[in-house]
Amino acid sequence: MIFRAVEDADLIQRAAKGDVEAYNLLVSHWEKPMYNYLLRMTGNREDALDLTQDVLLKAYQNLGKLAEPGRFAPWLYRIAHNEAYSMFRKRRPESDVDDMAPRPAGMGVTVGGSAVFPIELSLSVASALERLSPDQREAVVLKIYRGFKFEEMAEILDCPVSTVKSRLYTALDLLKEELAPLEARGVS
Amino acid sequence: MSCSPFDLRDYLLQELTGPQRTEVEAHVHSCPSCRLEMERLRLTQTALASLADEEMPRRIGFVSDQVFAVSPWRRWWAAFWGSAARLGFASAAMLSVALIVFATSRAAPAPRVVETVTGVSDAEVQQRLDSAVQRASAAIEARYLQRTEQLVKDIELRDRAERGVIRAQAQEQIDFQQRLLQAAKRSQYVASTNDGGPR
Repeated sequence: MIFRAVEDADLIQRAAKGDVEAYNLLVSHWEKPMYNYLLRMTGNREDALDLTQDVLLKAYQNLGKLAEPGRFAPWLYRIAHNEAYSMFRKRRPESDVDDMAPRPAGMGVTVGGSAVFPIELSLSVASALERLSPDQREAVVLKIYRGFKFEEMAEILDCPVSTVKSRLYTALDLLKEELAPLEARGVS
Repeated sequence: MSCSPFDLRDYLLQELTGPQRTEVEAHVHSCPSCRLEMERLRLTQTALASLADEEMPRRIGFVSDQVFAVSPWRRWWAAFWGSAARLGFASAAMLSVALIVFATSRAAPAPRVVETVTGVSDAEVQQRLDSAVQRASAAIEARYLQRTEQLVKDIELRDRAERGVIRAQAQEQIDFQQRLLQAAKRSQYVASTNDGGPR
């Protein structure tokens, strides 16, 4: 991880000077986590892919504004968060993003109505995640799947650490109610 | 409700320090309800971990295109504003220049002389003070006397000049009256010669 961070810092500095190849290498490190973060946020592969491209292009155009290369990850996810919420608002301008209705239970992440995850547990987890509010889901994705610290999450979400914790703990309690009995039954 | 010294969720989320983790582990070992809660949290975490990351449908790559490329000037400017250190250095440099300009464009103040009196008794100080007061009052008196004399002289000169003017004006008036009188006499004489002349 340390070697990766050092390599990324070098790539960021080169890309900031206009080295496109260095940036492509950097993209290869970050595109998959970014795509999956946006996939969890949007629940749609095409949207996630489009947003990933937009985010990485915007990041390239604004690399000069990044004061500390070591803060690249929170900075990149902050852009992604803004892009995702911008898309939500465009799609549903008349309603609050936080009030967006969750997808029907049990559908999982779908493209054209087909379930993405064949395993029951994965399907249940995806379904449980989708029943969370967007804020709670994003907190879980950033912490559990992307491994950010509370302070970094607060930076990405532009809110106090206490708010981050509150969202995450509420989400974990809800997930625990749904997933722990399932796991206890030995479904996996 | 957990009775653990630290939040069990923070323990599982790796947000506790080493000693805090040790404390939680010791507590969970001895507390059945917290042990059960920890077990449920672990199961939840394991379930969440079963949802693996998907592969990208297609890879993303960028090509060097002037449409997307940021101009070097804009890139430099963004880097400049994005760097607190560079911005701070620029501010310090501007402040230094302003100070130098201010210092060179303003005359240096005259050095102030500070007298220190040491080893002088109160009597001497009083004596010096009295003599200084006397000298000052004598100088003032002399200056006033000189100014008064000058004023008297000026008044006399002015008075003399005004008297001369008045005298000259009176003389002119007298001469004028005399000329009028003579003219009247002549006209009277001419009239009488006309009346009593050869008929």
